[in-house]
Amino acid sequence: MAKKIRLMYTAAALVPLTVLAAACGSSSPAKSSSGTSAPPASASGKSISETGSTLLFPLFGSWQNAYSAANTSVTITSGSTGSGTGIADAANGLVNIGASDAYLSSSDMTQYPNLINIPLTVAAVMVNYNVPTVKKPINLNGTVLAQIYTGKITKWNDSAIAALNKGVTLPSIPIVTLHRADSSGSTFLFTSYLSAQDPSAWSASNVGTTITWPSAPGALAETGSGGMVSGCGATKGCIAYIGISYLAKTQAASLGEASLANKAGSFTQATPAAITAALGSFPAVPASGGESLINTSAAAGYPIINYEYAVVDKKQASAAEATAVKAFLNWIITNGDSSTYLTAVGFEPLPSGTSSVSTSLINSISG
Amino acid sequence: MTASVPTVQPDGGAGRPPSRRLGGALGAWLRNGEPIRWLGLGGALIPLLMLVFVLITLIVKAIPAVEFSGWHLFSGTTWNFGSQYGTPVRSNGIVHESGEVFGALPEILGTLATTAIALIIGVPVAIGAALVIVERLPRRLANIVGMFLELLAGVPSVIVGLWGALTFGPFIAHHIAPILSNNLPDWSWLGFARGNTGNGQGLLTSGLVLAVMILPIIAATARDLIRGVPILPREGAIALGMSDWETARKVTLPWVGTGLIGAIFLGLGRAVGETIAVAMVCGVALGSLPTNLYAAMITISANIVQNIDTAILDKMDVSAFAALGLILLVLTLLANVIARMLVRRVSGTALPVGRGL
Repeated sequence: MAKKIRLMYTAAALVPLTVLAAACGSSSPAKSSSGTSAPPASASGKSISETGSTLLFPLFGSWQNAYSAANTSVTITSGSTGSGTGIADAANGLVNIGASDAYLSSSDMTQYPNLINIPLTVAAVMVNYNVPTVKKPINLNGTVLAQIYTGKITKWNDSAIAALNKGVTLPSIPIVTLHRADSSGSTFLFTSYLSAQDPSAWSASNVGTTITWPSAPGALAETGSGGMVSGCGATKGCIAYIGISYLAKTQAASLGEASLANKAGSFTQATPAAITAALGSFPAVPASGGESLINTSAAAGYPIINYEYAVVDKKQASAAEATAVKAFLNWIITNGDSSTYLTAVGFEPLPSGTSSVSTSLINSISG
Repeated sequence: MTASVPTVQPDGGAGRPPSRRLGGALGAWLRNGEPIRWLGLGGALIPLLMLVFVLITLIVKAIPAVEFSGWHLFSGTTWNFGSQYGTPVRSNGIVHESGEVFGALPEILGTLATTAIALIIGVPVAIGAALVIVERLPRRLANIVGMFLELLAGVPSVIVGLWGALTFGPFIAHHIAPILSNNLPDWSWLGFARGNTGNGQGLLTSGLVLAVMILPIIAATARDLIRGVPILPREGAIALGMSDWETARKVTLPWVGTGLIGAIFLGLGRAVGETIAVAMVCGVALGSLPTNLYAAMITISANIVQNIDTAILDKMDVSAFAALGLILLVLTLLANVIARMLVRRVSGTALPVGRGL
């Protein structure tokens, strides 16, 4: 009896080994037959992986679906991990594409000389609020927003806000500031705007994906853009900064969208026309692809916009992988960067000058 | 069983040499149970190696941040990940991002303060529940209550966090905090519980959510300890005319006193290390000491889990997180070691394992 039990244990221990051996053995015939039938993606190298920006993620998902449908041999996986993780994963060779709301810093470039950032599309960050009695968009500028977020302005009918909104009856309700609890590209873009508008009200050292928020009374921390929308929807008097891809959700939650002051001093909302106008005011994107698009000087331009980037290692693991990644990225900046995909998330296509920089960056990828 | 494996002969195939059946020496080696022995040895060593590996990794990774920050890491109240687009600067002889400062005092105090609130609320409830389950409830009902206690211990912490963020936090902000803040007696040492009642994210909510999470651990351990108290001393106490409460206080609880302290430490270890539920309700106020009981605050684990995406690109930021992790690991290890020593001294039995979700 004991012998039998021991035999059973041995058999049980051997099962994983057998399975492993079978798995190893089966991979070689799959490779040899790949020419004839639809090959498994990993064997033919036509598998593309992406992690990164949560702001880009919904759009990337629709690109991914459309591209996979047209190219059935390519498998694409994507992950909404946050821009920092996307860049780190691309730098460490864990993924082909790291999506980022922010361009690579010079220290990133020196640390990872093979990384390039390719502009893919143009996004924006809105400032939303829950003040149901005011129907017209409320005008705000960087100075007032900085004072709101530092707790110096605490009521919606504060004289500083009223001065920007002549003829609008503002309610005397407390302002509840919402900010992101997690690392976020939106936080980076929003704080960049505050500091660009008024460096004395918002210090340049307090700009980043995670910052130390001044303690404004009742300030709420929310996780994710979705958390910002639902948190603001549930809190009368709130103010929040939310990525443009959540436009439909902010409207569904009856949130207002502020008109923000640009460098020229006029107030605009994140409409396609205002985003395009802002794009036109910046110098041509440098060959590296990295450029800040904050606080436009165009009178009709919206002040918080940014390029969404694909961060890619120029030297991919194999020639086949490089080819697959290049084909996909080229498809994104040509077919993908069109209203078919962009309208749903409120993004805008690249200006033609940037598009050609992206193309040459994509062509620098090799295996 | 035997019917399903007809190829194995009842005598184990004794008539034939093992070499013919399984392949020579290998067969004999397998049949002697050697693989199991080695697998077992490996399995037994892995937990030890994992802990040592994690400790060494954390220490090595933490060194740059500790060199950079010095004691400020423990005493400073400012935390800034630095500006990735600024020009790197040099301080203490170390090149780092401009603006980078690591002062973890708010996080360390936040971790300890939420744990303290959890223990103040959770311990009396847990021990009371354990006493009632063992001594008052009919056996069948006690089993049912005990079962729910254990089920509560198994609720994933993210569920407790969601409940805290969506339901419990707002309830505290609207109904509990104002009552506390307005009606507490006007003693100066209670000033911490007055003032702005916040919005449901903060110290009190975090502490109460943690209390819910450690309650089942402490209660289940205390229940098993109290069950082990012999009936004679208790009957003696009752015979002397003691009330139930007096019996519990003077006989039952002192009998397992050390073990109860161990159970509390077990809960403490859980509370100190709890991540996601607290990250969802604490308000993640980086670098701010809570101004009162309701203010947003931060704990060590909340900082790490919410801000890893910012830290991941900068080696110094990652190093600072490793230093935070080391502090957290040492705190929880200490709590668990003390807990195990104390409980074992009383009960001599294995503990219901504190779940480290």
